[in-house]
Amino acid sequence: MTRHAFISMETVFLKSFQYIRPESLEEAGRFLAGDAPVKLLGGGNTLLLRIQSGEEEPAILLDVKHLPGFKDVRYHHNQGLKLGAAVNLQHLVMGLEIRRHYALLHQTAQKLASPQVRNRATIGGTLAWASPVSELAAPMLCYDAVCHVWSSRGLREIPLSEFYLGDFQTALAGDEIITHVHLPAFPNRTYGVYRRQTVRHDGRRMIAAAAVLAYRRQQALTHWRIAVLGVDDRPKRIPEAEAALEGAPTEEEVDRALHIVQEQIHPVDADYARADYRRASLNVLLRQAILDVIQQLQSMRS
Amino acid sequence: MVMRKTHVIGKPFPLVEAQKKLTGVSCYAGDERFGPELLHARILFSERGHARFRLRGVEAARKQEGVAALLTGRDLHTRLGAVIEDRELLAVDEVKYAGQPLAVVAAESTEAAMQALAMIQIEYERLPGVYDIESALAPNAPPVHPHMASYRGFDQVQAEPERNLAHQVAFQRGDVEKALASAAFVLDHTYTAAPLQHAPMETHGGVAQRQGKGGLIMWMHTQAPFLQREVIARALHMDPKDLRIITQCVGGSFGSKVFVSVEGLLAAIAREVDNRPVRLHLTREEEFRAVFMTPAMRARVTMGLDDQGHIVAIRAIYDWNVGASVDAFLMEMQRIALAGAGPYAIPNADIQVNAIYTHLLPAAPMRGLSIAQVHWAVEQHVDELAEMAGVSPLALRQRNLVKGGDQLFPNFVMHANGLESCVLETARAIDWQPDHQREASGAVASGKGLAMGWSPILVSPHCKSRAIIQCDGENLCTVIVDGVDVGQGYYAFITQLISFELNFPIEWITVQPTDTGNYDSDWRAIYNNLLWSTGRALLQATAELKRQILSYVSEMWEEPMTNLDIVEGEVISYATKRRLSVLTLLQEGTGEGAPPVFRAAGVYEPEVKAESLDGALQSFATTGYAAEVAVNLETGDLTVLQLAGAADVGHAINPEGVKAQLKGGIIQGVSQTLLEEMRFKDGAPVTIDFMSYPIATTADMPQQIHPIVVEIPQSTGPYGARDLSNHVLVGASAAIGNAVYRATGVRIRELPITPQRIYDALQTQAKTVEGNC
Amino acid sequence: MKHDITFTINGESVHLTVLSHQTLLEVIRNDLGLTGPKYGCSTGECGACSVLLDGEVVNSCLVLAPEADGAEIMTVEGLSEDDELHPLQKSFIDHHGVQCGYCAPGMLISAKALLSRTSRPHEEEIREALVGNLCRCGAYADIIKSIQVASRARR
Repeated sequence: MTRHAFISMETVFLKSFQYIRPESLEEAGRFLAGDAPVKLLGGGNTLLLRIQSGEEEPAILLDVKHLPGFKDVRYHHNQGLKLGAAVNLQHLVMGLEIRRHYALLHQTAQKLASPQVRNRATIGGTLAWASPVSELAAPMLCYDAVCHVWSSRGLREIPLSEFYLGDFQTALAGDEIITHVHLPAFPNRTYGVYRRQTVRHDGRRMIAAAAVLAYRRQQALTHWRIAVLGVDDRPKRIPEAEAALEGAPTEEEVDRALHIVQEQIHPVDADYARADYRRASLNVLLRQAILDVIQQLQSMRS
Repeated sequence: MVMRKTHVIGKPFPLVEAQKKLTGVSCYAGDERFGPELLHARILFSERGHARFRLRGVEAARKQEGVAALLTGRDLHTRLGAVIEDRELLAVDEVKYAGQPLAVVAAESTEAAMQALAMIQIEYERLPGVYDIESALAPNAPPVHPHMASYRGFDQVQAEPERNLAHQVAFQRGDVEKALASAAFVLDHTYTAAPLQHAPMETHGGVAQRQGKGGLIMWMHTQAPFLQREVIARALHMDPKDLRIITQCVGGSFGSKVFVSVEGLLAAIAREVDNRPVRLHLTREEEFRAVFMTPAMRARVTMGLDDQGHIVAIRAIYDWNVGASVDAFLMEMQRIALAGAGPYAIPNADIQVNAIYTHLLPAAPMRGLSIAQVHWAVEQHVDELAEMAGVSPLALRQRNLVKGGDQLFPNFVMHANGLESCVLETARAIDWQPDHQREASGAVASGKGLAMGWSPILVSPHCKSRAIIQCDGENLCTVIVDGVDVGQGYYAFITQLISFELNFPIEWITVQPTDTGNYDSDWRAIYNNLLWSTGRALLQATAELKRQILSYVSEMWEEPMTNLDIVEGEVISYATKRRLSVLTLLQEGTGEGAPPVFRAAGVYEPEVKAESLDGALQSFATTGYAAEVAVNLETGDLTVLQLAGAADVGHAINPEGVKAQLKGGIIQGVSQTLLEEMRFKDGAPVTIDFMSYPIATTADMPQQIHPIVVEIPQSTGPYGARDLSNHVLVGASAAIGNAVYRATGVRIRELPITPQRIYDALQTQAKTVEGNC
Repeated sequence: MKHDITFTINGESVHLTVLSHQTLLEVIRNDLGLTGPKYGCSTGECGACSVLLDGEVVNSCLVLAPEADGAEIMTVEGLSEDDELHPLQKSFIDHHGVQCGYCAPGMLISAKALLSRTSRPHEEEIREALVGNLCRCGAYADIIKSIQVASRARR
């Protein structure tokens, strides 16, 4: 049968599939080990579109939102934050523990898509989709997030900085499921900024975006984090540039950090923004973000 | 509650269908329930641009389980068009554009319909295509319609099919060459505007059902049911009286639901099945790929200014990429020619409007849009001219704007109008000042810009408007009209007018959904200046109805009619002080025999003064816009801080409704100016959803919106009123463009104004400055 | 694959048999005959199909019907009680919050979700709450005003 992506449907999917809500990871694992093509269903905001258009043709959709612990949120002042993979993005906007201790995550989530999308989209699903313009990835990278992954072969941890392999590819194997994401605890005097430039001001058609985070230890500004979006095949951190800012960066050091970033990104043309423009835009956004962080941290009472 | 006479016209009045729309009650074409009898139609559209093609597997698809009927161009080859039939219902052998229908199927379920179409394989053999104006006009370009001369309606167009000129309208006065030669300042620039999509929230569709042998009923959300009846009937070789179109609520049209797009295919396939209803509802992707686009524009404008600050001449050539069909754009071209010099009294003008055929989707005009694009060019040009001459852009406009009494066209003297008030009021609303150039804080600079607009309102020759009002005890007061409410408040206006004229409480009045079955088969309704034409018909009908009611009571009471009147729903006698509720009258009559039924009709037939360009010109809608923008000079990011829009509506019958339209125009203006652009690859649209074709969200709204109503009565309009909704956004883009220039010093001459374009222009500017140092 | 599911919609409990690949929008419109939620895009961009799912606004075109098992759903039909219009609906009528009206049911649902957690929202909060609901008529300003007035009237 030839496929006409063109006649994708109002309410009907081109091909049928089975919706299954597994009770346990083991049950989910059995489906993943089977022959039929399986996809994990989180919020469905992207996956269902890809099935409609014929880009994905799963035989089985495993709804992992109801697995035990998948909606848990736990915060401990030493151990940090544990976010179940099926926690929705709206929780990052509303959750008190997020607002208080992970303000950059809260700030970024507020700008993310729409309430409709945030209410459905899950943390696990959003990270696993691995879009180069995934706005969730920016604060998560800054907070040193680690994905905890289950498969029938066992458990493993993948730091988010090693999770993205580029071009919508992740380090996840086909039979692996993200169970939760862990963010370490951060000291009180941590400050982060997320800046983006998009053609439509709700966030659609991203030209570039950057998140910057650091904290203050006595007079030193330390633990710098820089995450960039829209300028490479994956959301990424730029550790060398972060290192250049360590301490209390001077103007020259900020310039040097920006220069390093420029050397380490590989933007591509989009129909609404050429690569050179995305590069220039990122430079401006990042400089503003770094200067904001410096100013905020330095104005905090020691 | 009884509304007092003075409380209806010129007072806030809600939309008549608002409650239905807000409670989810079935009202739109896709909401209608038809039960298990309902069949589902799907269309196979070409995915390629210009190509030769063959369909394989058609017979197998036809025999597929659940398929009730399937048509290809081989089964039914017919042409389609309101004036010139330059479209095929279904393609045969040659695809002229991506999105062209190749087959239509009706089946027991949507899945079955899709599966049948999926069995058809399309073999394409690519043919050289022309997709933009330049390549279509190039020597040796393949003609899009080499056989155009054989199409019905060819005698109605000025075409040169061999060089892809689909139609041309030109207008001249004075001697442009001479005036330009002696002008103190001459400025010449080219402006472009991208093709857009109407993108109504409700995609196209409807339900059709065969009636007996030859008849057909269609339940549709069209804005122009009479036009569609005529076009579909002709294409299907039906007698128009056998085709009945019943309209539903329209979930947005903006011009896309006027001319026939997929409705003809729905009618064709419904005729193939045995009296079962067939439903068609396009997906959003299909809506983007296969319904109309608006034509892209290229405008080459030359203006001359004398040393006294008078614009002495304009030469403007407007080229439009109309895709593979000019039919829906013909009347718009007349409007463009009339508006093409801008709202100025320029003694020497040479305006040329060309429609260019390409291998793209058929074009259709959008809500005042072609006129808005004309002003995108002219109104930026005037600002540049002002700068060149060292005068304020406002002063230059005031010195040259068209005034009541100016005769710019042989058959038309400009009426008194509020153009100057529009521009002054909008300038005041945002505190525009002639001297301040820009304000900068850090990398962000802000600036303010102005623009004016005029938009010709044409009466369609051979078209009429009719209104029928019936009063009876059961339904009280029902109204039948031939226009359609698309959310602009048409039914509210009708209710207000009747309530005012008959002095009835508004609750008595019901406007019936428009149904072509109520009219003769050759009826051609006016669809583009409804308030004016329906208003005139209604005034006739209400006068007659009132006469009937008073005459009846006059006999009953044996009192002369001149003593009687209707006041707040009661017939009263000024002489004897008798009173009788009209409600009682309708329910009981004289008490003997059947209660009375009053019925009156009014017809408005336009007088077309001459068979010339300006013969159908009835008036101009005039507008003013003022914008304040903030631009980041490093990133090109643009925010519209304020946008003021003013329109002269003659008399605001529903002032809040007028403001609602203005506010809508402001948002749509922002959307079209900053965000929207249909893009194609090898002739096939690549903007196929709201991600690739973004329209404005609440995040893109200007921080402040100023709707301004100007009222200079139109002597011929009902209560002095003039139509608005179609013209409301004329000038918005140019005001934003002029504001961007003031903020940045760079002039963007291509629509949309994207951050990339601003960035590029700023880069070029920086290099030039460096070079000068 | 068939699923027997139960959910409450506008306060009524319904029991249905649905297929895996049916969307909640499809079931609400075709099986339950509620025409408030509209098809606008099927890609979650326009919000015309918005409903409340366990009190939160979602695009029903991107929820599979079996996912709604056990949920509490509200469509625009559930806003008015005993034929009495909800203050939001009244306000939309009075302040021209509706033009072509196709986006209106979704707008009302987004507004309802907003007001249930913020009783007196600022204009900026309303704008943010409506960012997933497209209106081609551009009626945003009047929609925002309608919501603001309704929120004040609720006191």
